[in-house]
Amino acid sequence: MRKTTRFAATAGVLALGLTACSSGGDDAAEGGDQTVTVWTLTQEEAQKTAWDALVAGFEEANPGITIKTEERATDAHKDALRQAAGTDSLPDLYRYWGGPGLGGELVTAGVSADLTSFYDEYGWADELTPAALANATQYDGYHGVPFIQATEAVFYNKALFEQAGITELPTSYDDLVAAAQQLKDAGITPMTFGGTVNWHVMRLLDSLIETECGADTADELTTGDGDWGAEACATDAFTELESWGADYLNPGFMGISNDDAAQLFYSGQAAMTIEGDWYGPMAVDGGLPQEDLGIFTFPTGTGRTYGFGELLYLTPAAKSPDAAATFLDYMVSPEGQEKLGTAFASISVNSSVEPAADAPLGADWQAIIGAGEGLYVNNDQNFSTAETTEYWRIQNSVLTGELDPADAGAEFQKWRDANN
Amino acid sequence: MTALTSRQDPPTAPPRTGRRHRPFLTALPYLIPAVALYGYFIVYPMLDSIRLSFYRWSGFRTETPEFVGLDNYQRLFTADPVFWKAFGNSVIWVVLSLLIPMVLGLLLALGLNRRLVGRNLMRSVLYIPAVFASITVAAMWRWIYNPTLGLVNQGLEAVGLGSWAQSWLGDPSIALYSVFAASVWQAVGFPMVLFLAGLQSVPPELVDAAKIDGAGTWQVFRNVTLPALRPTTVVVVILTIINSLKVFDLIVGMTGGGPAQSTQVLALWSYTQSFTNHSFGAGGAVATVLLVLSLCLVVPYLAWSMKGDDK
Repeated sequence: MRKTTRFAATAGVLALGLTACSSGGDDAAEGGDQTVTVWTLTQEEAQKTAWDALVAGFEEANPGITIKTEERATDAHKDALRQAAGTDSLPDLYRYWGGPGLGGELVTAGVSADLTSFYDEYGWADELTPAALANATQYDGYHGVPFIQATEAVFYNKALFEQAGITELPTSYDDLVAAAQQLKDAGITPMTFGGTVNWHVMRLLDSLIETECGADTADELTTGDGDWGAEACATDAFTELESWGADYLNPGFMGISNDDAAQLFYSGQAAMTIEGDWYGPMAVDGGLPQEDLGIFTFPTGTGRTYGFGELLYLTPAAKSPDAAATFLDYMVSPEGQEKLGTAFASISVNSSVEPAADAPLGADWQAIIGAGEGLYVNNDQNFSTAETTEYWRIQNSVLTGELDPADAGAEFQKWRDANN
Repeated sequence: MTALTSRQDPPTAPPRTGRRHRPFLTALPYLIPAVALYGYFIVYPMLDSIRLSFYRWSGFRTETPEFVGLDNYQRLFTADPVFWKAFGNSVIWVVLSLLIPMVLGLLLALGLNRRLVGRNLMRSVLYIPAVFASITVAAMWRWIYNPTLGLVNQGLEAVGLGSWAQSWLGDPSIALYSVFAASVWQAVGFPMVLFLAGLQSVPPELVDAAKIDGAGTWQVFRNVTLPALRPTTVVVVILTIINSLKVFDLIVGMTGGGPAQSTQVLALWSYTQSFTNHSFGAGGAVATVLLVLSLCLVVPYLAWSMKGDDK
């Protein structure tokens, strides 16, 4: 009896063991589980929810592939990529900005794989908006798949415009200056910026360069070999910048951050600011009534819209490149874009995805993008990081009166000649 | 008898050389972990930073550093529009730190060394800012200096001095001093505590004797207290110089080095060159200059003070 029991128990254990082995063998036969590691930036609550929904949707549709997300703050993210470059510890995918200065640096450093074969296989080029696609094609081949295409414009407070007697939105730069003057005369701060984060005021300077120089010369100056010291339009742009700083920006703007500056806009103490399509929900959350919120494109006269892109790049060291490409395909698809919603941007990178009906200013953004005749990019994405540091120093020196606008272009060019 | 003899005649002394080396050999196993850690985490990165200053390197492992000799130094001294500003600001910061928080700390220590009501509470209150993280202090003072909502400008307006209201952190001519004021608020408690500790070692009988001899308060301070505080003063001066030269987080949190690099200092510029501009060679060159500057200030002072001690 006891022998029988022992035999039965042993047989049972063996059977379970064989079952377990058999089960593992089946997984292996199906290709086994694959893990795609994604390094991304620290996400706010709504963004985390949207990202998790994207990942869950993908994993449900693709059993056997697991997405492992690692978040880091901006600087830590950059450091981690720099330290992992050239090693096996790189992830499969990472989120990063586009532009020669940021994404381009990683492409040059060999931290991005050319995705031409995947673009051909999945036909992403046909799905993406031209503005978003331009971020991936600016280097040789295709680098990265667009994750966000942010568009920036002038946000304005309709009630304050009405209070100042402005009945029509500015359609030319002169109109914009006239509107600023009207606001100032009515005792309203025309435009708000935070100067301690240099990139905030930079949006005004970038737009003034586009306005004064025109599209071709602006591109030559920012991404080509244009001579900042020789182009009169550069001096004109710096002169206008000085004028805005002295007459139309919030008092003490150089000593406050973008967050502090935003409070002035949210609370109706300033009439305008230059922000991106992520800003609408923030302004409403901050207390600005949605009916008072409006946008118009900075009237540069070139017809181009202002913006920048973020992409998901595949690393050359990716352990599961095909699985990673499958995830990228899902992310770009209408279903994936629906999961992301408006948590990261109001406008989808997929040209067939309409803006969400409940997205603040969604239709206005669509109209701005639809009317755009190309894109001019934030200069901190155009320049190398060292060049950007100097660009900001020149910008702030003009704004604080330490540098004559007439000398600003030449000063910047002097640095470029010495360092490039 | 035997016991007495053994007590009176100590055992034969070991050979001289053995006695000289034994303490070191005994200590060696205990020293090795600390020395190894110090070497790996302090000495090696320092030497590597100096080595890097002779190379051009973006910081990416995929890129091989290129030896450029003294190019980074030449560029720093002749073509970097920010370096000399940062150098000057670091020197200003050291001088002001030696003049203001140190003197204030000494005065507070002298005041709080007397028998006062609530003395311990006042000591704690004055020391509390020193335990705050600098980034917290920066966030707090950024709000205090806010041009529209900040305490300083609103306070000035409340007392009818609205015309004195400033963009404290936005005006390049005063931004460095505005940040320094926050630093004084945070730092003054530290020298105060050191001086308070030092004051406990001033022999009261000497003070009493001086008073009996007719010395006034100033003479007692000048001829008794101050000489007795010499060892404490040496420590405070050296720590103040070192802390001043490595000031970083308060400036990052309040101005980020701006506006227009007007509050830039060497430690932050070294970091910016390396980790923002991805120019580790230039960053290493700035760090090396900072190291040399620190040694130039600290070593002579230390040598001078030790010479004084010998006398």
